[in-house]
Parts: sequence; C-alpha cells; structure tokens
Amino acid sequence: MIDKINSLMYERIMTPQKSLPSMFLLGNEAIARGVIESGCTVAAAYPGTPSSEVMESLVKWKKSLGHPIYLEWSVNEKVAFETAYGASLAGSRSMAAMKMVGLNVASDSVLSAAYLGVRGGLVVVVADDPGPHSSQTEQDSRFFAWFAKLPVLDPCNPREARDMALLAFELSELYEVPVILRPCLRVCHARQNVALGTPHPTTDAGLFKKNWQRWAAIPKFRLVLHEELNQKLNKIRLTEPLAQPEKVVGNGKASLAVITSGSVSSHVRDLVETDKDAYPVDVYRVGMPFPANGEAFQDIVDSHKKTLMIEETYPVLELQLKDRRKVVGRLTGDVPDQGELTPEVVHNLVERALGRTPGEKSAPDIKARRPSLCPGCPHRSAFFLIKKVFQKAIYTGDIGCYTLGINMGAVDTCLCMGASIGMAGGVVHSPLDRENATVVATIGDSTFYHAGIPPLINAVHTRAQFVLVIMDNGTTAMTGGQPTPAHVELADGSPGVAVDLEQVVRGCGVEFCEVGDPYDYGAFESLLSDAKDYTCEKRRGVSVVIARRPCVQYARGHTSSDKFVVGDECDRCMTCIRDLECPAITFIKPEKKISINWDVCNSCGFCFQMCPSKAIKKVAEHD
Amino acid sequence: MTELILCGRGGQGIVFLTRQLGQILTDLGRDVISSETHGMAVRGGSINSHLRIGAFLSPLIPIGDADFLISLDPSETANNIHYLEPRGLVVENSTMPSEPGFVRIDASGIARSLGSVRLENVVILGYASTLQGFPLCSNVIRSHLEKESRERIRAQNLAAFDAGVQASSEK
Repeated sequence: MIDKINSLMYERIMTPQKSLPSMFLLGNEAIARGVIESGCTVAAAYPGTPSSEVMESLVKWKKSLGHPIYLEWSVNEKVAFETAYGASLAGSRSMAAMKMVGLNVASDSVLSAAYLGVRGGLVVVVADDPGPHSSQTEQDSRFFAWFAKLPVLDPCNPREARDMALLAFELSELYEVPVILRPCLRVCHARQNVALGTPHPTTDAGLFKKNWQRWAAIPKFRLVLHEELNQKLNKIRLTEPLAQPEKVVGNGKASLAVITSGSVSSHVRDLVETDKDAYPVDVYRVGMPFPANGEAFQDIVDSHKKTLMIEETYPVLELQLKDRRKVVGRLTGDVPDQGELTPEVVHNLVERALGRTPGEKSAPDIKARRPSLCPGCPHRSAFFLIKKVFQKAIYTGDIGCYTLGINMGAVDTCLCMGASIGMAGGVVHSPLDRENATVVATIGDSTFYHAGIPPLINAVHTRAQFVLVIMDNGTTAMTGGQPTPAHVELADGSPGVAVDLEQVVRGCGVEFCEVGDPYDYGAFESLLSDAKDYTCEKRRGVSVVIARRPCVQYARGHTSSDKFVVGDECDRCMTCIRDLECPAITFIKPEKKISINWDVCNSCGFCFQMCPSKAIKKVAEHD
Repeated sequence: MTELILCGRGGQGIVFLTRQLGQILTDLGRDVISSETHGMAVRGGSINSHLRIGAFLSPLIPIGDADFLISLDPSETANNIHYLEPRGLVVENSTMPSEPGFVRIDASGIARSLGSVRLENVVILGYASTLQGFPLCSNVIRSHLEKESRERIRAQNLAAFDAGVQASSEK
C-alpha cells in the first residue's frame, strides 16, 4: 500500500509542468518553492548562512503568488521549530529553517517531537556547511537526525532540493514524524534551472484533538512512543524508495563501487561521467541517508571487490554497514575527517581507490582577502572607543558581523550565539589579577534577542562585574538584513509589535542601561567611561551600553555625502590604519602617504573626529 | 559546454553577474548550474562564482577546466587562475595593457566616468560579451538588461553595458 502511494507521489512531484517556465534558482529558493508547492501553511526560521534565503524566498513567493502561508522570522531556532510544531499539531503543514548550529539550539524540542510525532507534515530544513565557510563547526545534520531518530533527506543539487522538499512533507504526514531536509552549502548556494510545479493552497489535517497521553506524554507513555518511532523507522528503511541505494553510474560489474549521498555525490558523478573508460566504477547514491536500508547497501559491498564511501561530513552510511572489511572510507582513514570534499578531493579519493597514484589535484595556496567591517560600519567606531576606554580588558565577543572586531583586537573570544555574556560572567568570577579584571562583552541586537537574555539575567543575579555593549544596528546584518523583534513589521511586511531593547535590558534587572551613537566620538567615549565607573570602579554590577546606529548596508541614502582628505599635518602615526582598520583608508607605500578612497568611503566622519593630529579634513561637497 | 569563473571582492557585484547570465541561459532552455559565495566573505573578502553551462550536476568547476576567468579585481586573479584551462582566457578589470591569455579593460575607470564605480561589473560584462567563445552575445544580454523594471537602474546598467561593448571595439 505504502509503495503504491509513493509511486504516485513520486510521479506527481517529479513530472515538471510544461506550462510553467523554468527559473534559475538558488538551492534555498528551490527549497522554498517546494515548500510553497506542498501547501505549507506555517513557516518559521532564524537566519544563518547558508540557510537564510529559504525564508527570504518564501516571502517573495508568498507575495508573487498571493499564497496565504504564514511566515515569521522567529527570535531563535528553538522558537522557530516550536512554532512549526504547534502548527503541525493544529493540523497544518509547517516548516522550520535554520543552519546546522541552529539545530543545536532547537535540539531539545526536536528530540522530544520525534517521539510524539506530528499531524500536519513537518519539515525541518537544516543547512550544513562543510568547510566550514561561515560557521563554527562542520557537524553533519544527517548524524544529528540519526541521534534524534528522524528521517533525513540529502539533496544533490537545487533541482533535487525542490523535489525533496515536496517528498519530505509527504513522508512526514504518512509516517507522522518530523522529516529533516539537509542541504549542504553547495546546494543552498548553487543556482540551477529548476522546473516549477503548481503551488497548492494551504492544507488542513483537521482540528486538534486532545490526547494528553500522546501530546503531553509522561515517561510511561514515552516508552510506548519510543517503540512506535522505532517501528516507523524500520518500515521507512525497508519500504521507502528513498532509503534504497540507487545505481547512478555503471553496470554493477565493476570491481570498485562508490557509495555516496548529497551534494558531494554530484562531484562524484561529474568526475566519473567525464571519462567512463578512465573511471571503471559503479556509483550508488541514496536520497535518504538515515534510515537507510543497510542490508541493501551491504549487498553492494559484498558484490564488489572494494567499496569507497564518499559522504559529508560524518560516516553516516558507512556506520550503517555491518561488515566493513571491503570498505574504505572515514573509518579506515582513507577519507579526510575534516574539510569540504571538493571535486579535487573526490578526484584524488577515486584515483587512489582504483589503485592509481593521482597526479594530485589541489588548489594552490591562495591569499584570500580577509573580510572586514564595512567602511562606515558603526561597529568599527564602537570597537575603537571600547579599546580606548577599556585598555587591557578581556573582550568576549559573539556571532555576527562584529566578530570581525578581531581585526581590531577588540574581540578575544567567539564561541556561539549569546556566549559573550555567559562567558563574561565566568571570566569575572575566576580569580584574575585585578589589573586585568576588566571584561567587556559585545553582542549584536539580533543575537541578544536570540540567546543573550538568560545570560544577562544570570549576570545581574550573580553580581557579575562586566560591561556589556549591545551593538544595535537595527538588523541581522551578517545574514542579509533580516528584521529583529525590535521591528514593527514581520517577515512579509505585515504589522507586528516592536519589542523595545532598553525595556528588555531593564526587565532583566539591569540598572545601568544607556544608549549612545557610536559615530559621536566624544559622547560615546564619555558614556563608556560612565559604564566603566559604574561597573569597574564602584563595582555596582553589570552595566549595559547600547551602541545605536543603523547598519551602513541597509541605511544607504540616509548617510551623509561628506568627503574627507588627509592633509599635510599627517605625521603617519598609523592610528587610522592599525587601530581603525577602515577599508577606505590606505597607506600608499611609494609615497609614504595615507589616502582616503572615495569609491568605498561611506562618509561616517569618524576618522575625521578620531585623527590624533587632526590631519583628516572635510572637503566641500563633491559633485 | 562552457565554464566560467567570476571573481573579485565582496560588494563588487559578482553574484549579480552570475545570476543574469544564468537566467538568460535558462530562458534559452540551456542547462546551467552555478555556485556563489555568501556569508562573512561578502564583507569585502575574496569572492568567486562558478558558472557551468552543460549537463553538469555539481556547481563547482574542477581545477584546470574553466574557459574564462572574469576578474573584477586584479589582486584576486592569482587566487583563481588555477581553475583556468591552459588555453583559457582571463578578462581583467585593470589599467594595464592586454597580453597573451589576458585581456584587460579599465572597467572601474569607465564606471566612474558614468557616475558610479559600482557599475564596473556591468561594464566588464559588456566587454566580455564581445569576445570569441563567450557563451552569450551582446544583443542577447542587452535585451535581458532591458527587462529591468526600475527605470534608473535599467538606464544605468544599459549605459555601463554599452560602454563595455564600445571599449572592445576601440581596442
């Protein structure tokens, strides 16, 4: 029965509709398209590279299609998941999207929901970042899915990502479990021409029916639910086509088999298909790496002389094989345990598995330009003054653009979302040399709402003596400028209620909470000095300074058009180059001169206020 | 099958170029897949895009396969030149003269003279579209840029594109 439903389902999803045009879509846009086409009713997300464009494109699809889906940027990933889960219990198809470290934040809810199950189809889109390119870890969400006992789909490119988003909803509803869709960065941020299907209106699985033994299960019933979950997984593993190996290259008679999944499977197939004579291998892949049909994979291993496992980033398929004597992979040390499996790494792995010494293909040492805070970024002026006022302090930092304060020596630690505040509490309670006991934590506004509130309450309660600077640029800048809870508009522009930052800070019990403009050199410096006096001299507890100035990327058109030049008074003290680190200011070596590049200057005027020899001058408006 | 690398610094409009080319090719019914850089690197860091035209599944160009390297910043060319095949061509935004394997155009200078250095990406696109073997010809790209609905942006982009095409005929 299940197979029959599925074959119809596959046919419907995989048949592109000739009447609709193809679009050149980002993987995340293709996922959003699949979500809209499935008739999803509620979707929630917290931004994080490489996942952010899923919600951004849902907003675009909602508007362009006039679709009634409810969308929100939630305060964090845990709330995003719970929003989606609540909607699912109420009978709606729902989605939550996040990056893989966001799944860590949501994990408490996700693991419990696996036992309880769902009503409306619930898909959790979790974007992984092998490399890592823009993340703290290289964790594998397929492994996380195994740990949580949830099915996980692993698309190989944007086209398949759209198809799998639709399949994930069907699977979730059929088996009443949340389903994880795990695209890697090379799917999220690839673009491909994708055939579109017809969007379905929103769905309804019927009204919520009270059943506390399931939806509010106490431990006795959890045991029953755990058994039911195990039965569901077993059924999926044995019967679902996506859990079976699919032969994508070869006739099954080669001596070497490659088993692969996800975006890296695309590199494998492109390599082998460029020259089938040079690569006599059978390639198998799987769409659902957990729960995969381990026995079927074992048959492949047993019928080949050797099997190479190529998957990112943990040995998920490899561990589901019982007899690995003929297998080479991560567990044998043949596949690197860290780093992205690029086409070059894949090439070298396949060559070596074929018993050849590869003419090693590897990228030369490149001198990548380091990222830096934008010219005119208000974080730069805030960091400059923090360093000036709190010399020799320990600076606990956080996750966002302002992590780039490391370039200015104004960020000493970066752990995860919200950790600047929690860690500052720990640093001040350790027996430090009093000379060095000053601690300044910096966190962005969006990150503060996300994970900064409980540690701030903790700091107030425990009389932790540190200064917290909330870098309030009014947006979630690093990931593309998504709204924060302080905005009056929700994700799709519909009206919300702005949650005032100062009220939240004071509500945490903070007595010293002041707002200043980091562009205003004198006033902001004096504000920081007041905080220093309150916390470090009078030792009255945590003080909070809110550095408020809109992000230059999203405030274009509202900035001044002043132009600045460096005059002859310049004594080359290098403060602007070394301490301010503004990309608009450069030292021209042959002439030993400092110059301001008007192409990139955003006219914040901070260098003009900061220059110790008053050599930077404002010039008449340039037209 | 044509493969292109586009490189530069965050903020120079590499993603915009990749997206325009991909959408035009999609409209023409061609198979196309690309990869772009997002995240922290867009804050002025090194950026590249891969664009592959043909029946590829992976969005990444293997080392030594690309036909063109379009570089908006000469200091980024060296970071990407290993992607180029031996007979491949570098199209570089630079004031230096062209030489075998490298064609150069002062796209920043031309863009500045049109009012904004931000147009340099469209200038270099206009120039590249005139080169032999480039996967799309100038007219096709131009008529795509004409579809932009915001009038000011359309006018700016068309002026920049035409200036790039013009610069090629002057060489």
